[in-house]
Amino acid sequence: MSDELISKKEVLDLTGISYGQLYRWKRKSLIPEDWFVRKSTFTGQETFFPKEKILERVDKIQKMKDSLSLDELADLFSLNASNLKLTKESLIAKGIASEPVMNIFLETQEELNEFNYHEILKLYILSILLESGDIHIEEGKMLLQLLSDHQSILQQPKAVICFIRKLGMSSCLISVNGEQVLLEKGTKVAATLSLEHCAEELKSKLV
Amino acid sequence: MNMKTLGNLIINGVGSSNGGSFEKVGLNGKGTVNSDIECKRFHCNGTATIHGNVKTEKGKISGAAKIHGAVKAESFVINGSADISEAVSCQNLEVAGRSTIGGSVKCEVIVVNGKVTIEGDCEAEVFRAEGTFSVDGLLNAETIDIKLFGDSKAKEIGGRKIKVTQHRETLLKLIKSIFPLKLEADLIEGDDIELEGTAALVVRGKNVKIGKNCEIGLVEYSGVYECAAEAEVKELRKI
Repeated sequence: MSDELISKKEVLDLTGISYGQLYRWKRKSLIPEDWFVRKSTFTGQETFFPKEKILERVDKIQKMKDSLSLDELADLFSLNASNLKLTKESLIAKGIASEPVMNIFLETQEELNEFNYHEILKLYILSILLESGDIHIEEGKMLLQLLSDHQSILQQPKAVICFIRKLGMSSCLISVNGEQVLLEKGTKVAATLSLEHCAEELKSKLV
Repeated sequence: MNMKTLGNLIINGVGSSNGGSFEKVGLNGKGTVNSDIECKRFHCNGTATIHGNVKTEKGKISGAAKIHGAVKAESFVINGSADISEAVSCQNLEVAGRSTIGGSVKCEVIVVNGKVTIEGDCEAEVFRAEGTFSVDGLLNAETIDIKLFGDSKAKEIGGRKIKVTQHRETLLKLIKSIFPLKLEADLIEGDDIELEGTAALVVRGKNVKIGKNCEIGLVEYSGVYECAAEAEVKELRKI
């Protein structure tokens, strides 16, 4: 992801929102605090944002704000959402996981009738990785084990999941703050996945 | 909170408690609470020191209170003096006395009639001040209505409607005209901005109206701009 920054003024110009809206969204935590990057310029301090992220977020908010209240939107963007409960059938119907992926997921769990948010997120991560063909079933199970052992990681927006392979052996790891991971030469990264990205995608599917 | 009725914690005189959950907490003499309190009503009339967080539906501080922790309340009124070391979040916050808040403040409605110092950010839907305030971070509210009664400052102010007016009083008019009251800010951004007696480096907005006794470094506007004759604006840009 590029680290290109965009000034607040440019954001308003490009998207047509007003200062009032921007501040309101900030208040409602629709725009995370750590996107506000302060830098000094010749006119004093100015606020900048990560370009891609902010434009995507503003676009999403503008599209969805007619059908949802700002508080609901805030729930949607924050990672530790809601008292969500969904059944297996509705998850398949919403296209969060296909039937085979669901079965793989259920193999590793005890009997599960309703999925809460964390389980849905785990399922969705599994589904993305399996469907893309980046990992195989055994690796998928390894991933689920890792995610179950470190449940709290699901609320870390910056976490990144990485799959690595060397000489046919595979392993997976999670970098909590999304730092760069350096690998030895013979190791190949099979897949990486940002949790925040995943969670947002998931949420737009859930709505 | 569970259904069974909770007891009250009343300290009249010198006393201390280890905190807990109560129906009503009244600290009337010199009370010390050594951990978190959760209660429906919180009243402090004397000198109180709380080493922990306070969570209540309705709280009122009329004496002097020191809270070494955070405050969470539906409605919270400070008439005396309060030192709160961490964040405050409530529906309605009213400060008529003096208070210092070490963390950030998040409320629906904040009314300041006395003096308040906030070391973090301040977020509200409505921020109304008729006293003195100082915000070290960002003052962010949908509607900001400030009547200047004393020197106030905020690092940044952002919102939809921002209105700053100078109080007109006859008695102290002379002194006030020599040392006019000021609101100081680095940056003010909003949709509708009306300023009086404000010193700011940058003001950005859609409709900007600069009134008397203002000293503004740079004004950027996209809609309507008005400026009083007594105001000083160094640079003006239409976007």
